[in-house]
Amino acid sequence: MALLKLENVTKRFGGLVAVDDISLEITHGEIMAIVGPNGAGKTTLFNLINGVYPLDEGRIFFEDLDVTNYPAYKRAHLGIGRTFQIPRPFASASVLENIAIGAMFGAQGSEINVNTAMEMADHYIDLIGLKDHRDKPAGGLTPIEKKMVELARALAMKPRLLLMDEAMAGMNPKDIDDMVDFIRHIRDTEGIAIVSMVEHIMRAVARLAERVLVMHQGAKLVDEPTQEALTDPRVIEVYLGHPPEEKDA
Amino acid sequence: MGKHNKYLPIVPVIAGYAALFATGLFVPGKWQLISQLAFYCALGQAFNMFMGMTGYVDFGYVAFMGVGTYGMAISIWGLYDKGLGVWLIIIGLLMAALFSTLLSLAVGAVALRLRGAYFAIATIGVNEGFRYLIEGARIWNGADGIIFSRHMKTAFGKEMAGIISTFWADVLIFAVAIGAALMTLIYMRNKVGYALTALREDEDAAKVMGINVTRYKIIAFITSAIFAGLLGATAWALKLSYVYPDDVFEIHYTVEAIIIVLLGGAGTLLGPIVGGLIYGLTKYYLAITLPGLQLLIFAPIIIVIITMFPEGIVGMLRTRVQGTVLEKYII
Amino acid sequence: MIADQLAGNLIQGIILGGVYGMATMGLSLIFGVLRIVNVGHGAFIMVGAFVALWMFKSLGIIPLVAIPVAMVIGMALGLLFYYTVMKKILKAPEMATLLATFSLGVILEETMKQIFTSESWGYNWSLGKLDLGVTVLPYTKILAFGGSIIIALLLYMWFNKTRAGMAMRSVVEDDEGARVCGINVDWIYALSFSLGIGLTVTSGVLLTMFIPVGINPYMGGSYTLKAFVIAVLGGLSSPYGAFFGGLVFGLIENGTYTLFAIIPGAEPFALTRFFSFVMLLVILLVRPTGILKAK
Repeated sequence: MALLKLENVTKRFGGLVAVDDISLEITHGEIMAIVGPNGAGKTTLFNLINGVYPLDEGRIFFEDLDVTNYPAYKRAHLGIGRTFQIPRPFASASVLENIAIGAMFGAQGSEINVNTAMEMADHYIDLIGLKDHRDKPAGGLTPIEKKMVELARALAMKPRLLLMDEAMAGMNPKDIDDMVDFIRHIRDTEGIAIVSMVEHIMRAVARLAERVLVMHQGAKLVDEPTQEALTDPRVIEVYLGHPPEEKDA
Repeated sequence: MGKHNKYLPIVPVIAGYAALFATGLFVPGKWQLISQLAFYCALGQAFNMFMGMTGYVDFGYVAFMGVGTYGMAISIWGLYDKGLGVWLIIIGLLMAALFSTLLSLAVGAVALRLRGAYFAIATIGVNEGFRYLIEGARIWNGADGIIFSRHMKTAFGKEMAGIISTFWADVLIFAVAIGAALMTLIYMRNKVGYALTALREDEDAAKVMGINVTRYKIIAFITSAIFAGLLGATAWALKLSYVYPDDVFEIHYTVEAIIIVLLGGAGTLLGPIVGGLIYGLTKYYLAITLPGLQLLIFAPIIIVIITMFPEGIVGMLRTRVQGTVLEKYII
Repeated sequence: MIADQLAGNLIQGIILGGVYGMATMGLSLIFGVLRIVNVGHGAFIMVGAFVALWMFKSLGIIPLVAIPVAMVIGMALGLLFYYTVMKKILKAPEMATLLATFSLGVILEETMKQIFTSESWGYNWSLGKLDLGVTVLPYTKILAFGGSIIIALLLYMWFNKTRAGMAMRSVVEDDEGARVCGINVDWIYALSFSLGIGLTVTSGVLLTMFIPVGINPYMGGSYTLKAFVIAVLGGLSSPYGAFFGGLVFGLIENGTYTLFAIIPGAEPFALTRFFSFVMLLVILLVRPTGILKAK
């Protein structure tokens, strides 16, 4: 049984086809990257999986359950988590509260009370190394710190599928490597499947992903294991222009 | 952080209202003013539960006060001769709560599915609409209203009726204020409060985090409406012994509620008390010195607050006491 | 006989609706470009009404001339409010713009109350009537309707033939994209807000040509509600939609008034206003939500 299955998913905005007949499957615990230039439809695809946008055509299944018409919050309860390209923590709430909110309303939310959520949040704060900022309002953090808070918040939801939107944008190579290691660590310890969306940081894609889906103008171009995707001539022709950076270990 | 710490913030609330009450009891000649101040605090406390905590503006808020007033009025008018004594008032309060719950469900069912601006638009007409329904279809005597002073005197005796409208009604206003404050704190310390904070900050992100935003908006909306209804029942019906549709569906009460909540600090617990006191006192003195000008003075103040101090007085105070002992008391 | 009555109703409804529609165009323009709901809309109409009143009674100038004057006054007010208030809260949470426009409305109402007291005023400018058989139309109403059409046409030309107008349209579509194309979006915002307020104030003059009585500082409230019904009918961001929505609304309002007047014991005036509110809720329920949500 696939964790997530998309069947012929299409989304239009007026005359523009943002997501064009995409089908894909993600298995439990897999790490996949979605890659494509700006405007390829990646964020829209995430929004469709999340439930932020309704579909025009097609269906979405989460562990064989048809969630096509489920509102966003129900999908979160099932175990779909999300981080955003520009982090959106709840600015006036503290770091602790932000993460606790993830725990309170996430997949295990109905079983935990506020106090337990706070304890879980403390655990995640340690994990991301922001203990010093525990009680500070999230709005005052640096962009990278906000990213980490958002990640921790999503993890606190105990998702089984985590959609990460440009998680490594704006990072230098060392930070990217750390983040890649961190994501792998999460996958290994928590068993979460991770779909990471990346525009151009091929370093991350090459090291992180087991499989790559390349999107172009809303449609799926290729869907292959990483090395094959990155050396696929169609991909190189349409998007990369040059082979992936080989400065990784 | 132990459990007993969570409800510490109620201390300054109780202290504040107790001080206000005591001032009224022991300083001669000020009871009227104190009662007015308590009214504004209660109005702020109730309105804060919705606008402050969700960030949605309900321009038709006064309608809930209006139907609450009618709830009490009808109970007294209908049951005054059944020898119910104090139960008459209790029934009146329950009716007020029931009416405002029903109206808020009706309005909420439509309006709360809508996003911010659309919600505001939908509520713009609520108090107008309801008032014109009552007048147009001559419900509850239509524009003629209900006068029940005679009924009060029959039910309670002339002297007691007088004491109710000049003292006990005011005590109940305090009760509404404290009740609303307590409820606010309970929400703030439980999942409801966190859900509301999340949806106020960023409704889409909140949904993605698993929050059923419509459900929590409805909870806040109905709670806020119930307290509004109780306030109308006590401050208007019990105090005045009459109700007219064009009195109780007056939009300027909504304006005052907005001023009080913004001034004190939207979404804070203590904000409405601070806002209510400042607004009430200012209005009182303005009425003497510059009558009829209070809205003209306060409307620009709303703009100043929105553009320069959106967190309000308690909001700013809250940030200042971060890291001190007071942090646990001021929220 | 019934056909005559219906025809008469139809004509009255359309004439009224045209003016209503014109009164709503400013609201839709401001929402379309700036994504701001002008909750104080009615107060600006009221200002226009007083401009017409004052010019006629104090200066003896006919309302037709008051139209361009009102436009200038309205645009000046709009620019003033944009730069002093609105610009600062463009990025603030929705609550801020709603409360700010609301407060601006209150300021206008209270200021006018200080100048003109809360009494109701009226003026009498009669040009005679046109007898159409099925109904009788005062020429002033016809002029008001004509004025509305002309202004709507001028607006159409503005949007399609002038650079500023076309720039406005592109900002409605996509303000980021417009910025990238080199359009000074801030200036377009200012101009749009100013134009929207100008249109709204001007409509106040036209409305008094229709109903020259009952002019008081608080008259705006009922027009705000009507304007929202019309705007939502026509699609909140489209000024043309507002105009046609106005026509539809005028017809419906006229029709329901006649209907309620027939029912014994009912008060048609109050019930018609209740009905407008119900219409608003129904439309808001039926049209898809979330698609035109404010940014």
